[in-house]
Amino acid sequence: MSKAYANLAGATGFMAVMIVLPLVVRGRYFVGVLTLGLIYGIWAASWDFMSGLTGRENFGHALFIGAGAYTAGFLNTIWMANPWWSLPAAACVAVVFSLAVGIPTLRLSGPYFSLATLAAAAIMQRLTLIFWERTGGEDGLQGIAPLLKSPLELYYLCLFSLVAVVAILLAISASPWGMILRAIGGDELACRASGHNTTLYKVAAFAIGAAPAGLGGALYAHHQLQVGPQLLSVFVSVSVITMAYVGGIGSMYGAAIGAILLTVLTELLRGAGEWRLLVYSTVLVLMLFFRPHGLVAPLWQALRGGSE
Amino acid sequence: MNDILIYGAVTSSVYAMLAVGFTLMFGVARTLNLAHGSFYALGAYGTYLMTTSFKLSLTVAAVLAVLIVTALGVAMERMLIRPLRGVGLAVPMMTLALALVVEQVLFLGFGSEYRNVPSFIAASVIVGGVDVSGQRLLTVAVNGCVLACLWVFVHRTRQGSAILALSQDREAAQYVGIPVDRVYALVMGISAALAATAGVLTAPFLTVQPGMGLMPMIKALSIVIVGGLGSVRGSIAAALLLGYAETIVAYELSTAWTELVSLVAVFMTLVLRPAGLFGIRAR
Repeated sequence: MSKAYANLAGATGFMAVMIVLPLVVRGRYFVGVLTLGLIYGIWAASWDFMSGLTGRENFGHALFIGAGAYTAGFLNTIWMANPWWSLPAAACVAVVFSLAVGIPTLRLSGPYFSLATLAAAAIMQRLTLIFWERTGGEDGLQGIAPLLKSPLELYYLCLFSLVAVVAILLAISASPWGMILRAIGGDELACRASGHNTTLYKVAAFAIGAAPAGLGGALYAHHQLQVGPQLLSVFVSVSVITMAYVGGIGSMYGAAIGAILLTVLTELLRGAGEWRLLVYSTVLVLMLFFRPHGLVAPLWQALRGGSE
Repeated sequence: MNDILIYGAVTSSVYAMLAVGFTLMFGVARTLNLAHGSFYALGAYGTYLMTTSFKLSLTVAAVLAVLIVTALGVAMERMLIRPLRGVGLAVPMMTLALALVVEQVLFLGFGSEYRNVPSFIAASVIVGGVDVSGQRLLTVAVNGCVLACLWVFVHRTRQGSAILALSQDREAAQYVGIPVDRVYALVMGISAALAATAGVLTAPFLTVQPGMGLMPMIKALSIVIVGGLGSVRGSIAAALLLGYAETIVAYELSTAWTELVSLVAVFMTLVLRPAGLFGIRAR
């Protein structure tokens, strides 16, 4: 029971810090960076849900992020829809994409899923460049309307979204449902032998993970007020994976905190702007080598005493 | 009609070089090397660097570039991939991260602008009424020769038998004394050399920029899936299939749609026949 209290205390402490932080450290720029960190947190946690629990690595999370962001962009700049429609629409479009990729590939064992996700995101990025008349090509879609009046309000909306997403994903992963997902990660054959339709669970988990990614994409679009094809790039996918690895695979809250920390830390290195992507990929190489279990979640478990 | 035949052959031969290396790595070492496109890019940039900065002659630069990339591939296998083998999906993750490290290093070193690499053969030739640059014909010829040599090497030499044995049954191969790690390094070297050669040959007529490795690698992945993971025969057949399909689409419809060809092919393969054209392991 004490662990549950410790978790509750940790979550409350985190919330308190995140609520107070933008009020203490003022400045539009810093609030913008923190908002970006929260959005990355949504992406990293949603990646972690499917890939961390089932062990099926998705190398193309950028596909859902980009799909969500472009949905928001199209809705807002071409059909002039109310910005609030972006959020549900983006999540739905991302789910549709996840089903299109997941249904043919997740029923197979072997590396098909990983290869297909990588390829799907890369090809979508090429297509946005090729059909530049509609997508704006390299420049992307400009002039997206803001969702809320002040950056601070958007910050709290993103904070709320992140907490809600992580809470829902954690609740699912603690339920019998999540148990089956973990079992698939452990030994899929045994899981199938005990009568579970593992393909169904994997596809569902993939879709559940895609929805917040699309939502995060829409938040990003209304935060940056523009979307570009670089949102669909491998770099975005790998940045998200790096954040989840730093946080600790399969923990969700670790991925979210890892994302916030990495975003803020790399913003501090802004002077070396061009080096940011190199830093991310190098961090991932080093993490894989020396700390395959991540930093944030193991650290928290050590502080709290004992693991799950 | 003739131009489709000739340009299709150029595209197919490049795809085949990339796909065969990738599928060898997977079929023999069970290693998913997502840094495969980096070898291609490094081959091109290596030639560029050595011809412009070190003023070497083109042939020397090209050979040196391929050798250096091969050495890099072997070193990468030794130091970064081998320790992670058997740790879930750490290897594809590691290679993808490495691919981005390479891309970023190229970006920081050379900038994002396109670089020009001189042609081996500047003249263009008229074949069957089509005006083709000599460089493209050379690409087809060299790629064909290299792949033929690879076939002879795998099927006619002792080392080749070891490769085949490992691809069939790793444990049995180990029991009869085949040095597994050394063969993996050899295969990695071959795979890197094939990709680098393709990069060196195509650099004069394709764009040379830091991200150039990604799309060819995505095509190689698609071809490998269509041909059957781990099957060299399948990869060559699928490379011809997709290379020609893309060329036909480019000529008859528009170049914009070529990117969709591989996507559709992969999707159909996964739905209709996941093992691919020549794959043995069905699921």
